[in-house]
Amino acid sequence: MLDPLATDSAPPITRLVEAFHRLPGIGPKSAQRLAYHVLRAPAAEAHALADALVAVKEQIVLCAHCQNVAEQNPCRICQDTGRDRTVVCVVEEPLDVVAIERTHGFRGLFHVLHGVISPSDNVGPEDIKIAELLARLRDVDTEVTEVIVATNPNLEGEATAMYISRLLRPLGIRVTRLASGLPAGADLEYADNLTLGRALEFRQEVR
Amino acid sequence: MRLSHLALTHVRSFEHLDMDFEPGVHVVYGENGSGKTNLLEAIALLSTARRARAGRDGELISWTALAEDPLPAAQLSARIDGAAGSTTLDITVMTRAVRDAGTASTEPPAASRRFRVNGVARRASDLIGRLRTVLFSVDDVGLVDGAPAARRRFLDVTISQLEPLYVRALQRYGRVLVQRNSLLKRLQERRGDAGELDFWDQEAATAGAVLVRARAELLSRLDELASDSHRDLSTKGEQLRIAYEPALPDDLREGLCEPGLDSRLAAMFRATRPLDIRRAMTLHGPHRDDIAMLLDGHAAGSFASRGEQRTLALALRLGEVALSRERTGDAPVLLLDDVLSELDVRRRARVVAAAYEVDQVFITTPDEDRPRIEELPGARRYALEGGTLTPR
Ligand SMILES: [Zn+2]
Repeated sequence: MLDPLATDSAPPITRLVEAFHRLPGIGPKSAQRLAYHVLRAPAAEAHALADALVAVKEQIVLCAHCQNVAEQNPCRICQDTGRDRTVVCVVEEPLDVVAIERTHGFRGLFHVLHGVISPSDNVGPEDIKIAELLARLRDVDTEVTEVIVATNPNLEGEATAMYISRLLRPLGIRVTRLASGLPAGADLEYADNLTLGRALEFRQEVR
Repeated sequence: MRLSHLALTHVRSFEHLDMDFEPGVHVVYGENGSGKTNLLEAIALLSTARRARAGRDGELISWTALAEDPLPAAQLSARIDGAAGSTTLDITVMTRAVRDAGTASTEPPAASRRFRVNGVARRASDLIGRLRTVLFSVDDVGLVDGAPAARRRFLDVTISQLEPLYVRALQRYGRVLVQRNSLLKRLQERRGDAGELDFWDQEAATAGAVLVRARAELLSRLDELASDSHRDLSTKGEQLRIAYEPALPDDLREGLCEPGLDSRLAAMFRATRPLDIRRAMTLHGPHRDDIAMLLDGHAAGSFASRGEQRTLALALRLGEVALSRERTGDAPVLLLDDVLSELDVRRRARVVAAAYEVDQVFITTPDEDRPRIEELPGARRYALEGGTLTPR
């Protein structure tokens, strides 16, 4: 910590300020404000926060099928017998699953990559869940005939989509991409329901 | 076209400037350090969405705002009237994070920009070229004797104002290049597979073809227009030739405007992979382009005198003005940043003549006598002092 105020504080406070500061989007000032808020708050509130933090690490697992974060393995969606098992929608992040589920326009299964190919961030194909996707589709019991690659419509999302489609084409699986209704550079997570629903409905085959 | 209204808030030395401008010649008198250059660069920024010189965006925000505002921001607004009607442009440059009290730093803060066209939030590429300007600066001699980057910058600033697609391609090419070079580095370190280059090679070729074609077209016409200007300006009557020097293998340097350039570039990026991987960098492509400038067949950067180089730079700018008008049917706004005082009477007369051929021109000078009032009939004059522009 560079902040002189924090280093002068008692060690437990400094530790908490530093922990908050490590979170994305939290600057030193905000970290300090949060830490002092917790300090002033009733003990129950602090315990609730601590419990929630621990629970998310202890009770959340990755679903071995779709790689999504879940409370059980397989996850609720993978277990749901009412879902269409012939279509898999590949997304970058767990939040994208939430966004697509909210549209109620998709009844298939998901696969979460946990990232996109981006050499400048030192992320190659082996660093995201592409091998897991391939293994899943090569499984003799698979019913999947179509994979919708719903990575974001930016450079890295497109690079990832193309990489995946190259891998899947030899397997005889139809690979599609969301229709271009999403503005270029947009984030799936922030797309509104109608736009995302239409993008799914009018998806196009990857050349 | 003309700039009919300009408002600057917390922009460098301008805390609050709000002015209407008529068509015609505007002369701004100000001592060195009065902010004359800041004024013209602010207008140029509204035109090109990029800084006229290298530097961090945070430098655009005035020191007062940085010292006193919790969220310091610079605001630039303009109304443009031209053949396409009336348009308003806004650029906001804001610091990215609240500055912590007590951490005063001499470094300008990191900043981000927001753009509006007619009040609607837009991308930079939608704003660029709504106001077209040609900025003449004493630094222009760097176009002749400076590094190739200065000449690529000239190409980018000039073409961006004329072709919105060029701006998109330029941004995309830049991003693709960063990714491709990072991947080359990974491959050099024997991580990953060369097949991962397929996507980046194709994207570099698609965006790169837009850049190469536009540059080839522009320079082939600018060669004629700048040579014409140069003939008027030079005393010795040397012949100026300018030519595109694309950073491409010899067999690709011809026929740049013929169809299929993108697939030829894709094949090139593919063919140069082994060498690119060994060097961990993309060795060919528009990011390494240059312009050759020859006076009677000799490279002007190394053989011409200082005076000849200045004349050449001036000819390039005048050629740019002619080209901008020719392409759009609407003359750009001229920004002459203290360039008249260094010219002799004859060259000054030639530039002043060009100033009267466009709808609007802004001239800065520290010197009451250069240009003399009688050289600029009908000009509106202003004094710039303490961030205030006063008609006089
Ligand atoms: Zn699952």
